[in-house]
Amino acid sequence: MKIDRRSFLSLGVGAGAGIALSPLPWKLTDDLSIWTQMWPWTPVPKDGEIRYVNSVSTLCRCGCGIKVRKVDDRAVKIEGQEGYPGSDGSACALCMSGIQRLYSPTAIRMPLKNTGTKDAPLWQSVTWDAAIREISEKLGKLRKEGKPQALACISGSDKGTVPALFRRFLQAYGSPNFMSMPSYEDAYEMTLKLMHGTDSAVGFDLENADYVISFGSGILEGWGSSVRMFKAKSAWKDKKVKTVQVDTRLSNSAAKADLWLAVKPGSESLLALGMAAVIISEKLYDKKFADQYTFAFDSWKDAEGKEHRGFKEFILENYSLSYVARATGIEESQIVKIAKEFAGASAPIALCGRGQGNTPGSVHEFMAVHALNALAGNINQKGGVWAMPKDDYIQWDEAATDGIAEKGLETPRIDGAGTEKYPLSKSLPHRLAAIINAAEKSPVEVLLVSGANPLYSLPDSRAVKKAFGRIPFIVSFASHMDETSEMADMILPCPSHLERYEDVPTPAGMIRKVTGLARPVVRPQYNRKNAGDSLILIAKALGGSIAGSFPWAAYEECLEKTFGDKWKTLKETGYITEDFSPPYWDAAFATPSKKFAFMSEVCAGAEKKGGTGAAKPEGEENTFPLLLIPFDSMRLACGPVAPTPFMMKTVSDHMLKGKYTVVEIHPETAQKYGLKEGKNAVLSTPKGEAEVKVHLSRRTAPGIVAMPRGLGHSGPDEYISGKGSNFNELIAAVEDPVSGLDAAWGIRAKLVKA
Amino acid sequence: MDSALIPEGVKRCSFGKFMVFISIVSAVLLWGVYAMLLCWLKGLNQTNMNDYYGFALWIWADLAVIALGGGAFFSGFLKYLVGKDELKNIINYAVLIGFICYSSALLILAIDIGQPLRGWFIFWHANVHSMLTEVAFCLSCYFGVLCIEYIPLVLENRQLNKVPFFHNFAHNLHEIMAVFAATGAFLSFFHQGSLGGVAGVLFGRPFAYREGVFVWPWTFFLFTWSAAAFGPCFTLSLTKLLEKISGKKLVKDNVIELLAKISGWMIFTYTIAKIADTYYWAVVTAPGKGQTLMEFYTGNAFYGIWILVLEVIIGGLIPGLILITNKGRKNKYLLTTAIILACIGVSVNRWVMVLQVMAVPVMPFDTWALYYPSWQEVATTILPVAYGVLLIGISYRYMPIFPQERELNPID
Amino acid sequence: MSAKEQKKAKRFGMVIDLDKCTGCGACMVACMAENNVPFKKDESNKLDSITWMRVFKLTNGKEYPDADVCYLPRPCQHCEGHDGHSPCVSVCPATATDYSRETGIVSQIYTRCFGCRYCMAACPYHARYFNWWDPVWPKGMEKMLSPDVSVRMRGIVEKCSFCFHRYQRAMDKAHLEGRRELAENEYQTACTQACPAGAITFGDLNNPGHAVYKLKQSPNAFRLLERLGTNTKVYYVSEREWVRRAGDNYLAHEKTGQVAAAH
Ligand SMILES: Nc1nc2c(c(=O)[nH]1)N[C@H]1C(S)=C(S)[C@@H](COP(=O)(O)OP(=O)(O)OC[C@H]3O[C@@H](n4cnc5c(=O)[nH]c(N)nc54)[C@H](O)[C@@H]3O)O[C@H]1N2
Ligand SMILES: Nc1nc2c(c(=O)[nH]1)N[C@H]1C(S)=C(S)[C@@H](COP(=O)(O)OP(=O)(O)OC[C@H]3O[C@@H](n4cnc5c(=O)[nH]c(N)nc54)[C@H](O)[C@@H]3O)O[C@H]1N2
Ligand code: SF4
Ligand code: SF4
Ligand code: SF4
Ligand code: SF4
Ligand code: SF4
Ligand SMILES: [Mo]
Repeated sequence: MKIDRRSFLSLGVGAGAGIALSPLPWKLTDDLSIWTQMWPWTPVPKDGEIRYVNSVSTLCRCGCGIKVRKVDDRAVKIEGQEGYPGSDGSACALCMSGIQRLYSPTAIRMPLKNTGTKDAPLWQSVTWDAAIREISEKLGKLRKEGKPQALACISGSDKGTVPALFRRFLQAYGSPNFMSMPSYEDAYEMTLKLMHGTDSAVGFDLENADYVISFGSGILEGWGSSVRMFKAKSAWKDKKVKTVQVDTRLSNSAAKADLWLAVKPGSESLLALGMAAVIISEKLYDKKFADQYTFAFDSWKDAEGKEHRGFKEFILENYSLSYVARATGIEESQIVKIAKEFAGASAPIALCGRGQGNTPGSVHEFMAVHALNALAGNINQKGGVWAMPKDDYIQWDEAATDGIAEKGLETPRIDGAGTEKYPLSKSLPHRLAAIINAAEKSPVEVLLVSGANPLYSLPDSRAVKKAFGRIPFIVSFASHMDETSEMADMILPCPSHLERYEDVPTPAGMIRKVTGLARPVVRPQYNRKNAGDSLILIAKALGGSIAGSFPWAAYEECLEKTFGDKWKTLKETGYITEDFSPPYWDAAFATPSKKFAFMSEVCAGAEKKGGTGAAKPEGEENTFPLLLIPFDSMRLACGPVAPTPFMMKTVSDHMLKGKYTVVEIHPETAQKYGLKEGKNAVLSTPKGEAEVKVHLSRRTAPGIVAMPRGLGHSGPDEYISGKGSNFNELIAAVEDPVSGLDAAWGIRAKLVKA
Repeated sequence: MDSALIPEGVKRCSFGKFMVFISIVSAVLLWGVYAMLLCWLKGLNQTNMNDYYGFALWIWADLAVIALGGGAFFSGFLKYLVGKDELKNIINYAVLIGFICYSSALLILAIDIGQPLRGWFIFWHANVHSMLTEVAFCLSCYFGVLCIEYIPLVLENRQLNKVPFFHNFAHNLHEIMAVFAATGAFLSFFHQGSLGGVAGVLFGRPFAYREGVFVWPWTFFLFTWSAAAFGPCFTLSLTKLLEKISGKKLVKDNVIELLAKISGWMIFTYTIAKIADTYYWAVVTAPGKGQTLMEFYTGNAFYGIWILVLEVIIGGLIPGLILITNKGRKNKYLLTTAIILACIGVSVNRWVMVLQVMAVPVMPFDTWALYYPSWQEVATTILPVAYGVLLIGISYRYMPIFPQERELNPID
Repeated sequence: MSAKEQKKAKRFGMVIDLDKCTGCGACMVACMAENNVPFKKDESNKLDSITWMRVFKLTNGKEYPDADVCYLPRPCQHCEGHDGHSPCVSVCPATATDYSRETGIVSQIYTRCFGCRYCMAACPYHARYFNWWDPVWPKGMEKMLSPDVSVRMRGIVEKCSFCFHRYQRAMDKAHLEGRRELAENEYQTACTQACPAGAITFGDLNNPGHAVYKLKQSPNAFRLLERLGTNTKVYYVSEREWVRRAGDNYLAHEKTGQVAAAH
């Protein structure tokens, strides 16, 4: 057949039309569009059986109840657990993104041994047997050398069974050097010791308070049990309870308070004492409490007839309205008004402990604030501040000690706590670095770290890093890589917070005992062991009285035995709680006079050592004309646990931009130093320097640089690391003369254009 | 070498010279194609667009070329429907430019969307309320019309025209071209308007929003009007440019002046309407939404009131005034200045209606968002320019675009 | 309840107490976890960071110590516009986003959206986000993905859905139990539940039995950019006048709360 042009064309047209009318192009187009709707590399979440499992969070000290939504054995969502004491149905950003921690590729899956150096670690996985053997051999050798005291431990907390097992281990081993990471709870404990004479934890009946004044406490920044504080704050608003925030910077707590008192930095305690002076001079204090249940409120004569000045006279003489107004920057009339309102309320409460409360602070500041609660007669009362008995569910027999241990335990603590210098304190880990760095050879030869990330969280972290570099053997008990683990010689991996049992002791500030139980929500993913189990294995390997002090086969058995007949309830309901009603004033105090003490003998000496009130920030004003203060945010985790990728998404670009922390300065400061919005600058302090970006804001006063805490992690992954700078690298601890606790609230600084 | 393909009776540069030109432009084109492929394969993260700047540089280019390509439909409208027969001497070129502009616009849209392979959903799941749906339909249809208008030009190539079928086909197409021109004009009136509507209907954006009649905001009419007004200036500019490059006169002055005069009056009247629209918007519409005129032009590093002056006065009123005067049109320099200013004016208008809309904060606590394009965006925006230059070069060389060329440039 | 009332269309919406919101970001994280929102290595450029719920920071612009800040959580406002013509819905050329007359929820059909971003240009609240990148979960972390919400691919737009899947789940349960109506607490969004400050209240704005019905009538209640006629379903409450004023564009002489568009 001859194909002429005409038939060729018609054939072509026909074919075209045919194809167009056939299903082929439509099918192809459809397939194409379906393909673009589900690219093979876009994950498709698997469906499965849905279940909810309740647990309690160990991600921070607050111990909130959580509810985990599961699909088959995958955890997909964490929410608050309804009805859980305190947190009741809510959780904060950290816990809600906790699944990202569970499934993080940076989870440590097996014991790791550093075969490189501390500066350039080389991780090699080893078997559990080998790891335990190596650690116990090291520890056995140390004891043989008669130096059990060269073992030290830094624990994230001093409450609960895991810290108790570490303390016990050190006891049996023969070292007094158990340290727990500091917090404002330590300062409150000291305050109650001095003013009430009791060894107790502070409790706040926030829900029943009808007037609240916070001296820098970040009610909405993570202070106290954060979720409970949020709920309390909203309840105050509904009940029209007046809230006053004393803060140098317009923190979120200040912004949400009914009144913000913008005090000069470091003058919080002066304001408290100034208010006390007004309350006393106007005779607005609780007469019954002052007259019958306090010691030395008025001047008195001792047995030898010597005249002692009372609190009343001391305050009236030293804290005149004009002086306090000048020192704090708050108008006299304002101070009088607040003092009158406070004293006039039926259940006023004054809170102390700056920001999230990660730095303990000055004991005198706490005492000054607590004196206000006492003047209002609101101690151990409804809506007031309570001295709470500490958790006592751990009732183990005393650890057995052999001769080596006994000798070791008699040596003074390396951090100086409980020594002549700081007789009242229990643990001062922030002093460790300087002591190690000053010594010719590190007094700590083996360090155990559990539930803490001291390399990130202790002040002057560069010095801490140097010190840790000098410790011959560090064992880190951790579930994820962090700054401290990076410096370890051996890492013993712990299951993540959703894969293990652990008791959660009563959170800070509660007015009832609440013991929660964290439980495995999903099947453990890797071969990891609870720190308690690792410790039991090490103890057993060491043998002798040490092994004898750890009679449990495993940590779970230890937990079960510890709770005894309460274990069943705890395991079933997830928590046990016990109501508490505080004793009346006649039975509340255990000071020598059995009365409330406004002032303490201990302080009398301290006054000479360093004066009262807030610590003086380090640095010369000439070289460092500005004052650097930190601020906390609920969108960042400031504790040992690094923030999650989801949290990083919430962080404002006024806190972090690219790899730079953004610091806040007043426009006037910016002009003075030639700095511009969003531009880079070098921030330096006597401790270090960091390149930052500046944000101009009227939330801070001229002369202040405000810097967010919680940034600048060096690990564990690209979502977190290398973002911003760690505030702790720029700050130095300032020792409180009474307690030795870190009382630093800021440091002098310089900011120059980069 | 290629002399057999070159139209009879005209002179073209040497093949070698032509190939150098082709190579240079192709290199630029390939750079653009590379950027385009990056956008397709790696996604729009190759651009500097963001969630505030969802429309950016190339969408401006898209709108601008469609406005500038408006010379095609409006010349067609004038020639076939109004009966300005002299325009037959420039209509081929206008159609070519229109074809380039519209094919570029469609290409840009295909790069711009996040899921190009689903692009056809716009037809399949069409939402009649959306101006973009209207744009898509009319734009595609009108592009079809432009193809039909451009095909006879191609078929008139010396060699192709020897094929009887092509010859007849082209001839027949010419016969019914008025029908297509009318259809094209109708479609254009609509899609140019819809493009104006794209911004004008954004009642959540007081900077863009305009009141109007029925479903059409005033920008609907202003865009159609401005495309008709300014498009011919672009045709004229490119004619002047080609004349300059080829060193030959290609279109007679009376044709140029006629088109310039019509364009001038269109621009002049458009500008008056635009001023009225701006005035009403500044005094009634925007304040009704709580914003004042100057809020739109202060508080950022780029958008000052200068841009309004540039658009309306320098790029609108001035060229309009020049072109409506006989003296202005006759003066070579004034004419050139006016048509260039006009092209700038309409381009600035499209810029403002796309990019400034994205930049202006609406929520009182929001901030100005400024943006600069990535090289991939620049390259992809230049891509159609290179493509246009190439197509003009080839078309001019091998097709009888300018009917008066032979007469104006006798070879012997 | 009468049959007629039962048939009445729902208008799900929120009332957010700005005096309670602490800016903690829990709602943002809850939303991300609930809705499989992707995350990138650098999220500090807020112009390309997908946050269906975004908490804005407002300042009163005054000098220290009279300065004040307020946080404003911004989910999609589920605009009703005039008769369901939300700014975004009316412009979407492919009907990939729709206004539901039964629930008042503005939906987003990811598989239909072809990424033209016209809806983003239309939304004055920046509630819509484009997937500029392929979503990538670090190895192993894709285990956290919830099957209730499909994962979105590169090149399309996503936004807050008022956790529509929770509505579906609740409706499924109700239907199984032979009910056609949901109790107020049966359908709550993830952000509402998460907020530790109890700042967000969610419910049917048309239902006098729901808390939002009363709360929205507060003299301190306002909506964002009300005068644009977006007719949103997210109400805000604040006792502070400067905050209420920051919710809309006001001309210098206009009184707070006295201007609103007719629709
Ligand atoms: N290109 C493309 N298109 C798609 C899809 C796709 O993959 N690709 N997916 C398809 C799929 S799977 C779906 S489900 C659709 C989603 O899209 P549609 O179903 O079209 O709409 P939606 O707004 O998502 O929600 C469903 C509607 O049902 C209403 N509704 C919910 N429950 C009830 C009820 O109990 N009673 C009544 N009367 N109304 C109720 C809601 O208010 C809403 O109006 O999109 C479909 N379209
Ligand atoms: N935020 C928000 N969430 C929503 C909705 C919403 O509007 N907003 N809509 C809801 C609705 S209506 C729906 S239907 C869902 C949609 O959510 P999905 O049910 O997840 O639907 P798709 O996203 O379309 O994905 C379906 C998946 O099925 C797989 N698939 C396709 N064909 C086959 C096959 O033949 N065999 C197998 N084994 N697998 C196949 C593909 O991998 C594809 O990814 O999302 C719900 N969730
Ligand atoms: S405060 Fe937040 S991180 Fe801590 S336990 Fe509670 S929810 Fe978890
Ligand atoms: S969770 Fe509540 S308090 Fe926190 S930012 Fe969101 S709305 Fe505000
Ligand atoms: S807030 Fe934006 S995305 Fe949501 S409905 Fe309104 S216009 Fe649409
Ligand atoms: S980006 Fe998607 S949802 Fe938005 S207008 Fe375009 S197609 Fe519609
Ligand atoms: S309603 Fe649901 S989707 Fe919307 S912001 Fe809240 S959690 Fe996210
Ligand atoms: Mo569906």
